[in-house]
Amino acid sequence: MLYDLIPHIINGLALGLLFALLALGFMLIIGVMEVINLAHGSLFALGAYIALVVMTPDGGLPFAFMQPYYDLPVIPRYIIALIVGPIVVGVVGMGLEICLRRTYGKDPLYGLLLTFGAAMVLEEGIREIWGSSEYALPIPRGISGGFIAGDLIYSNYRIYAAIFSAAMIGVLWVFLNKTPYGAVIKAGAHDSEMVRALGYNLKRLRLYVFAFGAALAAIAGIIMAPIWGIRPVVGVDAVVPAFVVIVLGGVGSFWGSVSAGILVGLVVGLTAAFLTDWSLLSMYLLLLAVVTFRARGLAGKASVLEA
Amino acid sequence: MQAMEYDKKQTAAWITPPMLIAFAVFATLPLWIETVGLYEYLAVEVLIWVIFAMGFNLLLGYGGLPSFGHGAFFGIGAYAFGLAQFNVWANLWFCLAAAIFVTAVIGGIAALFLSHRRGIYFALMTIAVGQIFYFIASKWTTVTGGEDGMLNIKRLPVDFGLVEFSIKSNVGLYYLTFGLFVVVTLLLWRLTNSPYGRVLRAMKQNETRVAFIGYSPRLYKWSVFTLSCAIAGLAGGLFAMAQEGAYINIMSLQWSGTIVLIVLIGGGFVSFWGPLLGVIFYFVSRDVLGAYTDTWLLWFGLIFMGLVMFKPDGLAGIWRDYIGGRKAKSEQSGNPATVASGR
Repeated sequence: MLYDLIPHIINGLALGLLFALLALGFMLIIGVMEVINLAHGSLFALGAYIALVVMTPDGGLPFAFMQPYYDLPVIPRYIIALIVGPIVVGVVGMGLEICLRRTYGKDPLYGLLLTFGAAMVLEEGIREIWGSSEYALPIPRGISGGFIAGDLIYSNYRIYAAIFSAAMIGVLWVFLNKTPYGAVIKAGAHDSEMVRALGYNLKRLRLYVFAFGAALAAIAGIIMAPIWGIRPVVGVDAVVPAFVVIVLGGVGSFWGSVSAGILVGLVVGLTAAFLTDWSLLSMYLLLLAVVTFRARGLAGKASVLEA
Repeated sequence: MQAMEYDKKQTAAWITPPMLIAFAVFATLPLWIETVGLYEYLAVEVLIWVIFAMGFNLLLGYGGLPSFGHGAFFGIGAYAFGLAQFNVWANLWFCLAAAIFVTAVIGGIAALFLSHRRGIYFALMTIAVGQIFYFIASKWTTVTGGEDGMLNIKRLPVDFGLVEFSIKSNVGLYYLTFGLFVVVTLLLWRLTNSPYGRVLRAMKQNETRVAFIGYSPRLYKWSVFTLSCAIAGLAGGLFAMAQEGAYINIMSLQWSGTIVLIVLIGGGFVSFWGPLLGVIFYFVSRDVLGAYTDTWLLWFGLIFMGLVMFKPDGLAGIWRDYIGGRKAKSEQSGNPATVASGR
């Protein structure tokens, strides 16, 4: 019985690590900007659409001179997509941060509402440009398909997604903890006014952190695209788990979010094994159960969000 | 927070000039709505959403509790109305009472999990609660009809014992809704101007101090949440009749977010009448912008972002600033009692 569950556990793990990657960008933004970025899911979706444009002519760049480029093998195009997607979405994130500046120092509800409006604009913008139909992102042959071990089928892509996300989380950890830039970001999340008092350019820090968080969302979107497909509504499907992971893991805790992400992924994956339709519900029930007993999640500290 | 306040004075009046204007406008609305190029059903829709939004503003504006799951309770009201009609007693008053009661009970239970949350944590938990009900409604197809919705809900006749009115026409349904709107408005007006309303406003400013004075914020949060759920249930029941069915989409996170947006765009934080302005603005711009472009939500979203950035107090705030600018020297500005008279 347990043995049969291994593919589901791997699926859950891949999902969970992706949620964690998405949630970490979300959390950096909460930390430094004190803003709940409801547009995070839309940035995630936008990342996937940008990858689509980079990888296939379906994405809406039907220029003739692009044709030789689309004749390139899949792997270089995939790598270019993984670089271009986060950069473009990072720039969009910068634009959003500039809009958000007017809400700093007010009730956090205003930031939340502004990003809700931005999510609406991004989703409708995506609909306007790419339509409502579903697209599939081509992936290199090496990571598509599956293999059979014992009696069970394993998806290569899920294993790749899990490893890639885990590696990204590792890189992020090293960046935040072992580099001077990471130290400033963490200090900014702890007390942004103090960082300014020490002579750092807080305005620029916020701009870059928002762009960085948006870029992480784009990466998660590109990796998730072959699993969920690319649709305009995918943004809502993504932003809600990011919330759940943050609240569950506790705001401000790196490993809290990672473990909460894995926990959510596993619960969703395993519920899907038995009751496919109810798999997303289990996530909310888990949240309700944990938060009822541990108000700040698994590893959270007091934060600006309770004010 | 200095800009984001209601009038400090409370009033003992039951009827105020803006209220009379609102009642007069809505009482005559079916007579002239078609001459301004709109249609009767829109009036019904607007008035139902006004009831919902005003009840919601009790929670959001007065209590300072942003619920991002309130669409779920609107939906529960609609389903409860339909179920009561099909399975128990097809009487209008009974079905509306059932919609209110069921929604209040479910909302009251949900509020038990929410009433000790603060700030953004409250908002996040309401998202979770709203999504739980959304999923239950979408998967429990034997009861709710799932994605297809609950069909064939009838517009029950308004039964006053001796006389009976049919509300099969949109105008008939409109006047039933209008009657309930008047009742709900009077109740909410008195409630927000009562000691209860005063504690709510105080809690929005500083919950800890309210607790120090000796009030229980938990009890107040629980009761205001339950009350606004009950009003949502009433609006949901009416909406089920208007649509002649109950559908899942109004329970979604997008709709729950949209109602927050509607209330804020109207200026729910600074005026009792903010939600009303917001609903009118939303539905009229849906029809007007929608006539020109398929992606009206894109433009509406941009307008909304602009409002949050430059005029965070919404339409009512713009009006207040206008009035305030005109008589800045003569008296104190920002009386919400004067705000809506500019509609």
